[in-house]
Amino acid sequence: MSSTPAIETAGLTKLYGANRGIEDVTFSVAAGEVFGFLGPNGAGKTTTIRTLLDLIHPSQGSARLFGLDSRRESVPIRARLGNLPGDFGYGRQSSGREALGLLAKLRGVDGSGRAEELARRFHADLDRPLGQLSRGNRQKVGLILATFHEPELLILDEPTSGLDPLMQQEFLGLVAEERERGCAVFISSHELDEVQRVCDRVGIVREGRLIAVERMDDLLGKARRKVMVRLADPDGLENLRALTAVEELQIEGGEATFTVAGDIDTVVKALSEHHVLDLEAVHPSLDEVFLTYYREGPER
Amino acid sequence: MSLQLCALVAAHLSDRRRSVLAWGLPIGLMSAFIVAIFPSVESALSKAIQGYPSGLKEAFGIGELANVEQYLHAEMLSLIVPLAIGYLAVRAVASGLAGAAESGRLDVLLSAPISRRRICAAGFLATGVELAAVLAAAWVLTMLGSVLSGAGLGAGPAAAGFVSVWPLGLLFAGLGIVVCGFTMRTTIVTGAVAGVLVSMYVVDLIGKLDPGLSGVRYFSVFKYYGNAIEDGIEPLAFVGVSLLAALLATAGGWLFERRDISA
Repeated sequence: MSSTPAIETAGLTKLYGANRGIEDVTFSVAAGEVFGFLGPNGAGKTTTIRTLLDLIHPSQGSARLFGLDSRRESVPIRARLGNLPGDFGYGRQSSGREALGLLAKLRGVDGSGRAEELARRFHADLDRPLGQLSRGNRQKVGLILATFHEPELLILDEPTSGLDPLMQQEFLGLVAEERERGCAVFISSHELDEVQRVCDRVGIVREGRLIAVERMDDLLGKARRKVMVRLADPDGLENLRALTAVEELQIEGGEATFTVAGDIDTVVKALSEHHVLDLEAVHPSLDEVFLTYYREGPER
Repeated sequence: MSLQLCALVAAHLSDRRRSVLAWGLPIGLMSAFIVAIFPSVESALSKAIQGYPSGLKEAFGIGELANVEQYLHAEMLSLIVPLAIGYLAVRAVASGLAGAAESGRLDVLLSAPISRRRICAAGFLATGVELAAVLAAAWVLTMLGSVLSGAGLGAGPAAAGFVSVWPLGLLFAGLGIVVCGFTMRTTIVTGAVAGVLVSMYVVDLIGKLDPGLSGVRYFSVFKYYGNAIEDGIEPLAFVGVSLLAALLATAGGWLFERRDISA
């Protein structure tokens, strides 16, 4: 697997006059890595992707894909990637097969690559005009167009929008297989569940700025766990007030509920001096982590 | 021509395959009708034309209408066909570029290893082929009308008349690509270039009607359009306008490469 990052941005900025696009976005995605790009609509996810693809030109900063400059070497870059645009469209009259035929010729691919296999897998209809397909079925065609040529990098903007749960599952399976193949995957999404299940690392974008880039495990580990504990001796719960890791402590009827930020070890050791009747530590979901970042997250 | 360019031109033509019927058929049928009725209106026309002011006849390219070629030029090739072909050319490039951006197709195409200039070049070439096909269909139908009515239209002069429209249409295709370098809204591109098309026609008309203003005709491509059905194709004008069209398309491609393509 190549040691050159699949994507590497440095201070990538796009301003639309007085309006914000993205500002000082810096991150990298390694070959074979699945990177989630999280943020609500309007946060700057699509602007970042369009800048990577040279559809829009950065006001400042730079992006390199496979070590090549995204502006000057855009054509050779695009030979090595697959892209699913957000809200995929190709014109109402054309069928998926027509689009596939043209893209195969433009990419110099013999036949249609693994398109037929993918069409069977996603139950995609390549022969009907795209204007007659539902959004989800159009999205399946878009996924096939992005992946049929086995690219080295997949850039997917909101890939599962419109897909039913079964197809979402199939999509996540495909992403895992692409990673196994050594393909880097950049997924922009606000579907936190899919990101949590498939991504190695995530970047969180807020109001055009990248406010965090973390390994998925670290991100979840850093977040506050919700803990509930019941002791045989309720007075022992008062000792929790002295622990710096414990926050939002509430003691009621011999039961304490609180959150723990960071290492939970000090809490476990403090509780071990007592007879614990019940203990529950709930790992936060990515949704909670994301919302925490979104409300008060650190500026990078 | 590279394989990529061929593939893009073929795709563009496939998308617009209906236009040969949608434009070639009405233009051809109308021309065929004009040619077909000529034998029955010939004598009445000559008398009527004699009463027209000479300036008006010159402005609209109406000569003596002594033969079917002159009649076809006056009724079709001096106004309707060039305006229709110019408008069709703009529609074709606008749908291939601005329309593709609006439908999301451009995003998909630009995921592939192809430069924007090549996409513009393909749109321009495909439009050239489309215009040629429409004009050829119109010529065939016109000749059919002549044969059936016994009007005696010469195939060569008629072909020259229709072929001379081609570079004019191509020029407005080139201009359409230039406008796509500034905006990706189909309606704006079509409206702006159609406005230029009509303005150029009017400017040429004013220059013809008022000898004191004849200099303004240099700002209109219609000055170089002429009357090929009677005088034959003027090679310098034909090549010059075609080259200008290619130059505009190249400039448009340069602008198109530098603009942002928003979602």
